[in-house]
Formats: sequence, structure tokens, C-alpha cells
Amino acid sequence: MPATLTPTKSAKTDTNKSRRIEMILRQVDSLPTLPAVALRLLSLTASDESDAREVIETVSADPALTANILAMCRHSDTGVRSDGLTIEKAVLLLGFNAVRNAVLSLKVMEVFGREERSGTSDEPEGGKRPDDESLVANRSSLVPAPFDRTGFWRHSLAVAVAAEQIAAAHSDQDDLPPAEAFVCGLLHDIGKLAIDFVLPKSYDRVAELVDLNQGNIAEFERRVIGIDHHTAGKRLAQQWDLPQMLQDCIWLHGAPLETLPQLDHRRMIGLVRLADLVARQQHIGYSGNFAMKADPAALAVQLDLDPDRVAQVTEELLGEVESRQRVLGLADVPTHRMFLESIQQANQKLGRLNAALDRRSRASSMQAKVLDAITMFHSDASPGRSVHDALAQIGQSAAEALGRGYWAIVHQPAMDDRWLLAEFDEAGMSPEFRWVDPPLDAPDITTIHALPTGIEGPNGSIAAAGFLPLLGGYLSHTTDISSLRVLPLGCGWGTSALLVHDCDALPPLSALAALTQTWGATLAAVSQHEGARRLSEQLAEANQALADAQDQLLQAEAISKLGELASGAAHEMNNPLAIISGRAQLLLNTLDRNGNAHAAAKVIDEQARRLSELITSLRLWADPPQPGRTPTDVTALLNRIVGGFIDELSQRHAPVSLQVKHDLPTIDLDPIMVTDALHELLRNAVQSQPKSAVHVIGRVNRADRMLVVQVIDDGVGMDAHTLSHAMDPFFSAKPAGRLIGMGLPRARQLIAAHGGQLHLRSLPGEGTIATVSLPLDSPR
Amino acid sequence: MGRMTKNGKSNGSAKADELRSKQVFTTGEAAEVCRVSQQTIIRCFDAGRLNGFRVPGSRFRRIPRDELLRFMRENDIPTEALEDSRRRILVVDDDPEIVSLLLDVLGNDERFEVRSAQTGYDAGVMTEEFRPDVIILDYMLPDINGNVVCQTIRKNPKLTGIRVLVVSGVVDRDAVQDLLDAGADAFIKKPFDLGELTSQIDQLLTV
Repeated sequence: MPATLTPTKSAKTDTNKSRRIEMILRQVDSLPTLPAVALRLLSLTASDESDAREVIETVSADPALTANILAMCRHSDTGVRSDGLTIEKAVLLLGFNAVRNAVLSLKVMEVFGREERSGTSDEPEGGKRPDDESLVANRSSLVPAPFDRTGFWRHSLAVAVAAEQIAAAHSDQDDLPPAEAFVCGLLHDIGKLAIDFVLPKSYDRVAELVDLNQGNIAEFERRVIGIDHHTAGKRLAQQWDLPQMLQDCIWLHGAPLETLPQLDHRRMIGLVRLADLVARQQHIGYSGNFAMKADPAALAVQLDLDPDRVAQVTEELLGEVESRQRVLGLADVPTHRMFLESIQQANQKLGRLNAALDRRSRASSMQAKVLDAITMFHSDASPGRSVHDALAQIGQSAAEALGRGYWAIVHQPAMDDRWLLAEFDEAGMSPEFRWVDPPLDAPDITTIHALPTGIEGPNGSIAAAGFLPLLGGYLSHTTDISSLRVLPLGCGWGTSALLVHDCDALPPLSALAALTQTWGATLAAVSQHEGARRLSEQLAEANQALADAQDQLLQAEAISKLGELASGAAHEMNNPLAIISGRAQLLLNTLDRNGNAHAAAKVIDEQARRLSELITSLRLWADPPQPGRTPTDVTALLNRIVGGFIDELSQRHAPVSLQVKHDLPTIDLDPIMVTDALHELLRNAVQSQPKSAVHVIGRVNRADRMLVVQVIDDGVGMDAHTLSHAMDPFFSAKPAGRLIGMGLPRARQLIAAHGGQLHLRSLPGEGTIATVSLPLDSPR
Repeated sequence: MGRMTKNGKSNGSAKADELRSKQVFTTGEAAEVCRVSQQTIIRCFDAGRLNGFRVPGSRFRRIPRDELLRFMRENDIPTEALEDSRRRILVVDDDPEIVSLLLDVLGNDERFEVRSAQTGYDAGVMTEEFRPDVIILDYMLPDINGNVVCQTIRKNPKLTGIRVLVVSGVVDRDAVQDLLDAGADAFIKKPFDLGELTSQIDQLLTV
């Protein structure tokens, strides 16, 4: 609430206001209309020569009549679809008599008879009007400017024509039919007519104040009457059951395009807003808005409209409006006179604006500050910012725009969510963030109504102020909590956060709302974006995990299949292998020991057994046995392993040496499995054609509690590719090279079964170091 | 001790084989087995030193095989003519080539008398009839698994003393343990070393 206007806040005032709003809405069953229009229409419809075109034009030119006829059309059983309803269709559909009845039902004369009224109170509830002394102090020095009904009508017509012409200039865009654009433009300010009809004196006062302060009429409507023409118009439109598009145009044409939700007719609302801007730019009629908030060209671009065509329409608007007036028999004023009048009016406004400047300097500097703050705030925006970034920016922006002081923000990302609390220093810097659980009895922050309706208290909305006691426990602010105030930061669907501060002076409501809505909407957008990003990240992670799990499953399945296969193969293949081997052995007994046949029989026997071992390895690979651990003296075991291996070697192999410290401990392990594993490594080392020897080194790594056994050769080594596949069963780097077979994979499996690890380091031409690490303590 | 090979039996030994397979002996046959006169046998029978029975409705004396053996041992008469000194081995495998291989390996050894069966059922029948000293048993048989065969043999009190050597292509530690638990005395994996096989059999026979 602006500091320049602080009505005595009391429950009574609120009650009176809400009662008055109800009263206003009850009384707007019918709308006043212009007698000239009505008379012209009546004469047209009564005349035999009148044609449909003329009737349509006449009705089209009158907002109240148009609204009533559309409402009639809706309420009659004509089966007309509500969307796409135009005056043209309505008049043809209803017929001339119906239109005449509609005009009569408006009781035109009655309505306009009130111009003779004087001194009748329009304060039916007897409530005291808010004290506007500060604003009307200089009233006597200026000519009173009551609500200019003719000007209002001219403005409505100008907006209608502008909307229609801009739409017609973009006939390729079928979501903007010119006839509907005209209706929307004509009725967009119908709320003003409604308020003026119900509370004429109050509305004169509103007009007076607006003129004096060169402000925005809606703001003064809210202050003086408690309801602005947007809301009043929307309620009226709902009551009359006007098409949704019309309702929304009436309600939302004052809102910036960015703040509009994604409605089907979002562009139509934007078009009406644009037409309103154009009409005001041309100073045609009376709109009650003195601030040019937006640039028509920029808005046109936002709406995907051609700025050049809009400029063209703007240029021709005056002439077009004049020709429409002529249809109504109201074009008594020649064009150039009307133009001069417009210029005069604009000059007059400019003069008043200058006169008001001093008085309003404080407010306007505040507004400028707010605008600067919004500009700054947006210039700092980056697409990837987080909720924390946005909160930090809001704190900074708040302190810059509204002054040093205590600043904190309570952000609730979603319904039923926790609170993210950000507390700032005096300058709105160095935020500290905390997630807190809201008190059990705390209402949902997101559901607080944050739009400025004119019924807020000085500390922001009543609902938001109610949060203060709840927040007390979380804030580190040491001073009295009663010095704090709460501003809800609204967004499209509610409130995204509460701004806690101790500022006494805040900018005018409209400017403040712009600021809080900017912060609120930004925070909500960032929060949503972050949530979506987090979700998509989680989704990506889940997908990754799923893919990994699938890979593992496939591998497990493949191994399990291999296991089944190997198990069956072991029986089926070992029988023939036993026969081959057995027959070869029988042959050996009968053949000459020195003959070739003897050697061949020996090879047959050996190869049959080798094949069988391979099958056994496969089976064990697919279904590895659990180690049968027994306490084993590692020194003795290593001696047995190396000793046993050397016994198997023929003379042509390189020597194998063992270096073992004698203080190696006794470990719980499966000696057979460890023997198998080390034999595989030794076999690998010996077959690598070592230049000198193969060394086996056993030691204990006390720090990691590991037994470390290394098998080192200086043989051919492995390149990176071979090394990376060394643990794959049956991998062979060279098609014609030595098959690695199952040896290394099996060794690794046997060691892994003990909770140990097998590492290979190798360089081509320099040799290989295989390192086995076994835990000293068995995993129990 | 005269060893006889399966392939090289003399004509005269046909009679000896016939006697060896007999369960009940006449006094004449007993005399031949013991290499004493028929009168000596009759005298011993009548004196109660050689127990037997008379054929119902006649005076003919008959001597059961067990009683004759007891009598011979008691009087230090060699039992060679009645008992074959070769050890009996039953090979059970459904693969005829494996059976054939084992028959060639063991059948050439004069110490062994070898027979074979290809199913678990046949193995049961042969065991009762042939009374083998050692059964070489394949684990995977078409009708019954090796462990069941083992259990059946172990449950029969008449068949105590039979050694079971399982020879199989299975490599599953658990399956092997099952076999040993079911009563198998040893396990050898196919393919096998012939020397290892015979030494394993020797070991089982000396226990």
C-alpha cells in the first residue's frame, strides 16, 4: 500500500468495501447507453429502407447495446454457439424488432436522465469515503474533471476500430477475426460504465483524482470505490454470460502480456491492449490512463504483429473513428476540429502533468526507482540460475529499491513443501539459506492470494501478515517481531514466497505490485525450472542405472546360459574325450617308445585332456564354488605352489624363483583355489617367453591388511588392448597368437572369491606384473 | 597259484568251471574237489564232520557249497578248485565305447574277471549274481543315477564289502560329494589316466 495514501485500516472499512462491491455488482443488471445511438438505431429499425448493414454498424458502435444484444442472443433459444458471436451475426439472427426491443429494454432515456441528478448520495451504505485529502488538496485550483461519458464512448469506439483495423491488416492470422476484435475493443472498458452507473458521484471523484494525479484510473478506482473497472467489468461480463474471450478481454486488457496465462485468446487480449495504447497515443476519447506504460511497436512485436501495419492503422485511426461516428449521427464535429481537440486535450494533459509533477515527484521517483529495480533485476537474470541465485537477487533488488533494513525471504517451492529461508544483511547481500520444516499450523504459502485487490492492509495482505508470528521462531532477527512486515511475492497461480522486511515507506501499490509480481514470478519460474531440471536429471540417472542393470542382467543371463551349457557339455564331451584319451594311452603301451606314432598318441592324449580342462574351467567360471577356507600357512603354501609348478615344468622353460619372507601369516583361505589361481598366473608368465626368469614375491601390506603376491616376468608383455581384455574368457589379441583361454579370468575369479583382487601391469616387450591382493582377515 | 586268462582256458578247465559254479555237491563231486576218495567223503559225512542232507525219499547225500568250503579249510585242503582267485570287476556305463575301453584295459589283466552292465537295473541284477569285488560306476545312467545305485548296494547287507569306484565326466563338486555321501569309495574324473585307474582299483581291493 503506498505511503502517500494510507486509509485508516479497520475491519469496518474492509467490510464496507466488500459490501459496496456487492452492491455495485447487484445494480449492474443493465447498462447505460448513449441516446443518440439508441435513437438512431430505433429510427433505423423502424424504417422500411433501413438495411442490415446500417443496423449492424449502428449497434456495433455502441458498447452497451452490443453487450446487451449479445446477452440476449445467448439467452434466447437460437442455438447459437457462444464463440465467434459478432454483432453482425446477432443482429441478423435476432431481427430488427428484437434489436429495437433490446434498445428499449436499456431504458436509455432513464439512464441518461440521471445527468440532471444532483446531490443524491451514491453512498448507500453510509460508509465514510476514504480520506483523500492529501491528493485533492489542490482541487480548487483546477477545473473539476468529472467522468467524461462522451469521451469514454469515443475511447471505446477508437479502441474497437483500432483493434478491428489492426486485425484486418493481419487477415492472414485467423485467431484475430476483425469483427470479434471490434466487439472486444468496444466493450473492454465496460466496467467503467458499470461503476459510473452505480456510483456516479464516486466515479466523478475518481475521474477528478486521476486527472489531478495524472495516474492510472484503475488504481484510483480501487482506492476510492474498492473495485477497479477490470474486476467490475469481469463480474458484469460473467453476469451477462458474455463469451469467455470477451470476459477475459474486459478483465485482463490492463495486464502486461507476459503475465497472461496461456489462454487460447491470449493474442486477442493483447490486441485489445495494443488498440488501447494506440487510441491513447492518438488522444482519442477519454480512457483515464495517463501513463504510457508500453510502446505499441514493442507490444506489436510481442504479439507477432507487423509494427509497420500497426503504425499505418494508427495513422488512419482518427479518420476511421470519425466515419464510424458519422454512422451514429454523432459526427457533428469536423475532422480537423476533432483533431485539434485531441491536440488540445493532449496539450492540456501535458500541462496538468507538468503541474502535477512537483506533487508527484516523490511518488514518481519511487516509481522510477522501482522501474530501475525491475530493469536491474532482469538484467542480472541468467538462464541457468538456481532458486538460491534468484533469492539472492531478490534480496539485493529489494534492498536497492526499498532501502537498507532487515530482509528475509521465505520460499515454498510447492504445496506441502518445506520452506527455504533466506536471510540477508542490511544491504540485502550475503544471504544465508536454511531449509526448515513449516510449523504444523502454518497455512500453505503458495495458496495465499497475492494479487493487489485494494483490500490489503499496510503490511501486505492480511493472510500474509498472519505468518509473522509463525516465522518468529525461524528468523534470526533480534528486534521485536512486530516491527516486521510481510509482502507476498505473487506469481500466476498464487504466492511463491514471502518477503519479510522492516521498511516503513513503500512505493505506491501499483509500482510495488509490479516489483513483487516480478520477483514472485521470477522465483516461481526458476523454481519450476529447477524442479523440472532436477526431474530430468533424476530421470537421466534412473535411465543410466536401468541400462547398467540391464547390462548386468544380460551378462548374468549369458553366464548362466554358459553354465548350463558347460554343465551338459561336461558330461557329453568328457565321455568321448575319455575314450580318445584312453585309447591313446592303450596305444602308447603297444607302440615303439622312440617312434613317431608313440609321440602322436601322446599328443592325442594330452590334447583330449586339455579340452576337458577347458570345459571344466567354463563350468567353474559360470558357477564358481565358494572357497572352503582353512587356516593356511602362507609361506608353506607358496613354497608348495611354486615347488609343484616347477616339478611340472620341462627343461626348456625359464627358471622360476620364489622370494618369500618367512614371517608371512596364517590366513583363512581355500588352498586349492589359491593354488589354482597362482598356477594360472605362473603358467601365463612362463608362456610369455621370459628373457631371464619368472619371479614370485610374497609380502604383507600391513597398512591395508593385505597379503600381496606378485608374479613377475620379463616376457613379451601385452599391449593396452590385450591388457584390457586379458580377463575376458577366450580372448586372443592375435588370430594366430597364443590363446589366453580361461587362465587369467579364472585366476581373477578364484581370487575374487576370497575377497581379493588381481591386477595386471604390462608393457609390450618388457614383461608383465600380475599382483594378487588377498585380505588377511577373512570376511565374516 | 594258477592264473587263468579269459581267452586262454584249457579244455580240462571246463569241468573245473562247472564245479566252481555249483551250489550243492554230490559225494563224488566233493571227492573230486577235495582230491580224496568218495569213501572218505562218505565217512566224514556219516561221522558228522561234513554236514549235509539226504535227498528226500532216497539215501543220496548232498553237501552245500558253504559247508564243503568250511570242511576244506578246516582240513587244510586247498580251495582253489572251488574258488576262483581272480577279483571280479563290474563295469557299469551306458556308453558302449567306455565299456569296451575298460574291458580292454582290465580284461588284459589276468588278476581280474570283468563283466559289464549298461543300465542301473542291469547293474543291480549283475551285482546279485556276479558278486563283484569292485563296481566301476558311471554317474549318469539312463535309468538311475549313480548315487541311487550306490545307496541300493549299501542298503543290502549281503553285499557288504563291495567297493564302488565312480568314474564320471561331471565336475560339480557338490555332485561328487553327493556320490561319496551315498557310499561311493572313490571318484575318478573322465578322461582318466589308465595307470591312475588301475592303481585306484588295486588300492580299493587291498583295503
